[in-house]
Amino acid sequence: MGVVRYEGLPFVARFRWNTGKIMEKFYGGFAERQILAAKCENCGYTVVPPRVICPKCSSKMNENNLVKLDGRGVVLSYTVVRKKLDGKGGFVTLDKPEVIAAVKLNGADSMIFAKIGDVDVEDIKSGMEVVPVWAEKPEGRLSDLLYFRPG
Amino acid sequence: MRNVAIIGCGQAKHGRRTDVNQAELVAEAVWAAVEDAGIAPEDIEAYAVGNMQGFGGIAQPDLVFADYIGAAGKPMQRVATGGTVGGSVAHLGYYEVASGMYDVVLAVSWEKHSDSAEPGATTGLLHVAYANLSYMMKVGMDMRSFAIMGLAGAAAGISAYQAAFYMARSGCGIEHFDMVAAKARRNAAKNKYAHLKWPNCTADDIAKTEMLIWPMRFGHVCPASDGASCVIYASEEAVKKLGVEKPVAWVKGVAAYADEEADQGEAYQGTAVVDYSDQTGAILSAMKAYERAGIKDPKKEIDVAEIYAPFPHQELMFSERLGFFDDGTAWKAVEEGVTEIDGDFPICPSGGVNATNAIGSSGMQRVVEAALQIMGKAEEHQVPKDVRNAVAHAWGGQVQFNTVMVLGDSPKR
Repeated sequence: MGVVRYEGLPFVARFRWNTGKIMEKFYGGFAERQILAAKCENCGYTVVPPRVICPKCSSKMNENNLVKLDGRGVVLSYTVVRKKLDGKGGFVTLDKPEVIAAVKLNGADSMIFAKIGDVDVEDIKSGMEVVPVWAEKPEGRLSDLLYFRPG
Repeated sequence: MRNVAIIGCGQAKHGRRTDVNQAELVAEAVWAAVEDAGIAPEDIEAYAVGNMQGFGGIAQPDLVFADYIGAAGKPMQRVATGGTVGGSVAHLGYYEVASGMYDVVLAVSWEKHSDSAEPGATTGLLHVAYANLSYMMKVGMDMRSFAIMGLAGAAAGISAYQAAFYMARSGCGIEHFDMVAAKARRNAAKNKYAHLKWPNCTADDIAKTEMLIWPMRFGHVCPASDGASCVIYASEEAVKKLGVEKPVAWVKGVAAYADEEADQGEAYQGTAVVDYSDQTGAILSAMKAYERAGIKDPKKEIDVAEIYAPFPHQELMFSERLGFFDDGTAWKAVEEGVTEIDGDFPICPSGGVNATNAIGSSGMQRVVEAALQIMGKAEEHQVPKDVRNAVAHAWGGQVQFNTVMVLGDSPKR
């Protein structure tokens, strides 16, 4: 039996997610090269990216809870990526390995995942201090934050 | 099984909610319910959650909001039974308390249709359809012909066949669908959480709307809403221990039955084994739920019902299947105003699913609305008669799952 391919279906099914108001502010901050977090007034937990319910004590939060972080952070743990998908079901070896790290930003209690650049993979280690590298013309998109580098 | 009460209800404002993301929408209903119950988040021991699989663009949405609803570090389970899911989540939460497993359980279900670049529920439906309808090749069907027949009218196209079956059986006319749809919009105008509000809407207003796919007019079709609905269950002991003094709604009986296989497409193309409007599963669910609740004559003992009826013929069809009216007579009751908010047997005083349809939320919303009628907290759409027993029904799956919950103003003895 061969594969039966359907053609001519009148179907288009695309998604378009709403981020919520507090995350709109977060992306807006990127345009200013700023990282915003939400600080809970009840328990003091500071979460980045910000959200409307404190993940620690479930208190309600809103735009008034937003605080600016200085962007500096510390690498908690990391992994080195040496292969990537080739889009045809296989893998290719990267010319230059990439580092993905769990970074705890100064002033935040939660952590984010980010790419680490401008560093030799042999030199990366937990506890390393990093700073963000922004796009030349940030537009309020996630892609504005290119990567973190040692600093 | 021990006695279980609903001690708190919460709803998000239903409608087009582009101001919130999915986790925020769910949290809105959850924290409204916690506030209504007057308990602390720590009192909640476990969570039952669910929505339509594939809808809203997140395959496993339960993974994104546990810490928005205080569930981190607690048991949490998701149910997915298609359109029935709100009813199934309500049942799961009930099972968890009735079984003695937990004393206080929160059950929430939701849908976020507006996270779709296509109109209405199209994106969500098609993500289900891709998988489900392709599978119809097992009965020798071509999805392309289904697409023309059914999806020409989207969900209305699917239910149009059922409406035609029902008209042939009952002798009702399209004007009765107009009456039911007008009632839904009028009632919704009195419900602050509802979506399609139309104060003083008349059957004539609905009759003027365009015919989409016979016998379904535009005015018969439910909206694609965003929304979330939530209840909090407590065991009889926990009601005392928590010091709940406000009126609660007691769960007196539940049942959920599947029908024979009846994928929409199979019914269309002649391979179905059932009359598409037969809904034996609804009859079985109702009979068993009434038996468990000690209800002998639903016509006399049930005071109000919230039926899962996205389309008006379904309110007529299911109100017969649930035993409120004799077969083929519900349209006469509608003509006489029996099912109005101030009628002898009010049906969907909230405006129902025909006026507000955030699919995953809809089954749970029937439970919430039935509970509010028992508690006397339905505000502007509270029925004027005494409410001792209320029925909450949900329907879905493909076309063959039904859930029925009987709520009462006193625990079963």
